[in-house]
Amino acid sequence: MLAIATKIGESLLLILAVLVFNFVLVYIAPGSVIDALSAGSLGDASEAQIEAVRERLGLDKSFFGQLFMYLGNVLQGDFGYSPIGNRPVVEMIAPRIFPTLLLAFSALTFAVTIGIAIGTAAARRPDSFLSSGLTVFALIGFAMPVFWTGILLILVFGVWLDWLPVAGMNDLRMSSRAGFFERAVDTAEHLILPTVSLGVIFLATYARLARASMMEVLQSDYIRTARAKGLHESKVLFKHGLRNGIIPIITVLGLEFGILLSGAILVETVFAWPGLGRLAFEAVLNRDTNVLLAILTMVSVTVILANLLTDIVYRLVDPRIRTGGRA
Amino acid sequence: MDQPLLSVRNLTVKFGEFKAIDGLSFDLYPGKTLAVVGESGSGKSVTALSIMRLVELGTRAKVAEGEVLLRRDDGSTIDLLKQSERAMRSIRGNDISMVFQEPLTSLNPVYTTGDQVIETIRQHRKTTRRDAAKRALEMFEKVRIPRPDKVMQDYPHQLSGGMRQRVMIAMALSCDPRLLIADEPTTALDVTIQAQMLGLMKSLQQETGAAVMLITHDMGVVAEVADDMVVMRNSKFVESGSVYDIFEKPGAAYTRALLASVPRLGSMKGKTEPERFDLVDREGM
Ligand SMILES: Nc1ncnc2c1ncn2[C@@H]1O[C@H](COP(=O)(O)OP(=O)(O)OP(=O)(O)O)[C@@H](O)[C@H]1O
Ligand SMILES: [Mg+2]
Repeated sequence: MLAIATKIGESLLLILAVLVFNFVLVYIAPGSVIDALSAGSLGDASEAQIEAVRERLGLDKSFFGQLFMYLGNVLQGDFGYSPIGNRPVVEMIAPRIFPTLLLAFSALTFAVTIGIAIGTAAARRPDSFLSSGLTVFALIGFAMPVFWTGILLILVFGVWLDWLPVAGMNDLRMSSRAGFFERAVDTAEHLILPTVSLGVIFLATYARLARASMMEVLQSDYIRTARAKGLHESKVLFKHGLRNGIIPIITVLGLEFGILLSGAILVETVFAWPGLGRLAFEAVLNRDTNVLLAILTMVSVTVILANLLTDIVYRLVDPRIRTGGRA
Repeated sequence: MDQPLLSVRNLTVKFGEFKAIDGLSFDLYPGKTLAVVGESGSGKSVTALSIMRLVELGTRAKVAEGEVLLRRDDGSTIDLLKQSERAMRSIRGNDISMVFQEPLTSLNPVYTTGDQVIETIRQHRKTTRRDAAKRALEMFEKVRIPRPDKVMQDYPHQLSGGMRQRVMIAMALSCDPRLLIADEPTTALDVTIQAQMLGLMKSLQQETGAAVMLITHDMGVVAEVADDMVVMRNSKFVESGSVYDIFEKPGAAYTRALLASVPRLGSMKGKTEPERFDLVDREGM
């Protein structure tokens, strides 16, 4: 229990450090929202008017002045105002969180379950084609740019076969009176292609990881014991094998969550998925620093929380860590 | 004499071209203890795993030849090598069960010891989890685990090697097998525990009437607990017979060398190190 409390404390400190780091990162990036505004809505404004905007946004303060103002606000849940969206940042971000989390978890579930199934099958037959081909598949999966896979999937399943929707999260023609169930089915259909294009990057990685892990586990003495008890091979594999083999997979899962979210940005852009990623993309183009900072913060916090969660799940799965025993 | 419970006939097991067992035959009688002895690598574990039909699972091994005949309660015999995987599953852990050489790693680290024994019982007996748990507790008491109800909640890493091996024995005996194969059950344990464990197995055997196939390379252990013995060397059968006869009059030079390798009390008097014993090959066998 103490160990978990320590972990939570560490995570909070880490979040604070990340907040500062993100701020510095955006602060030193070239260009500011003023440039973007002057090119657009503020095009005809006078020097004095621009100066007023700068002051209202706090951009006239020193670096530390801005940093402390920012930290103070964030800790109160205030992410500032977006001059581009003309709304408080929180209002812009809130509706985007759920779609991104939905996509990320859907892709993760896809990659992990299918990856483990393939990896386990390969581990049982190390000499098979599947097993030796896995390294190559992994390379291809990792090397294929996500937007390329996305566009390919759109072409095949959206355009040629016309099986699945390719843009957005819901059908625009859907009546606003549509029931929850109808809406959920529609969202699920929209989710398939983005899930696959984001998931394939990780699919082969997890398959390879599962293969290595399960190959080792299947050699162990307790697997032989399980067989000697007269258990069915499926029980040997999944109840006795996987429960041990999944431990290294959980570790990597937590570590890769950040990569997953950054992949989500690209996928959301390709599929017009109304999530944080697309908002971030627009915010970068518009130098909308407050929005960008808020998203960076959200993502960082999510990654830190994902790692914390991993750590807790890891303890639940492996009694040797939970009970603080020897190996 | 009784009909044998288990007869191994001309068993040959190969790893690729290498014969890990080459034409091995022996009989095992109900209620008796058969010791299988031989030096490291002679094929003892492979023999045990072949009887259980576990040797081919997950390895490159192939049972090339032979029969493993098991006598059933109704007096008929079946050849285990010809049984389906499904039929074997109902035999493993039920008619024939096994205790392994490695007590530290033979239990699954992520389940409690109680759960692992209960799982075995429920695999072969139609009982509720409650009744199976009761039976498991009984078994834990039988193998003299102190505070058995607590140990049932423990994970393997929380127990000593000796305790873990007791759990393995409890698990192996939980479905009243007619044959218990114990593959060097005490080699990994320290000496005082070894004696306890052998005593325990002996008394449990008398209680349950199970036959025991005890794999060992310790001649002291053989003299202590076995009725009959089979000697193996380099994958091959050397000789077999009652322990009494073989200890009295070993037929093969190899057996004589094995027997001579047991140090006798006082044999090192006046010496600083044990005498090197002669390699049998030099005697030209
Ligand atoms: N999985 C395997 N793959 C290849 N060869 C194996 C395998 N298992 C056993 N062998 C070989 O079979 C032979 C017999 O091994 P076995 O484990 O039966 O010896 P043992 O008599 O039990 O020895 P020990 O007393 O050390 O346990 C050895 O030469 C070993 O190298
Ligand atoms: Mg062995």
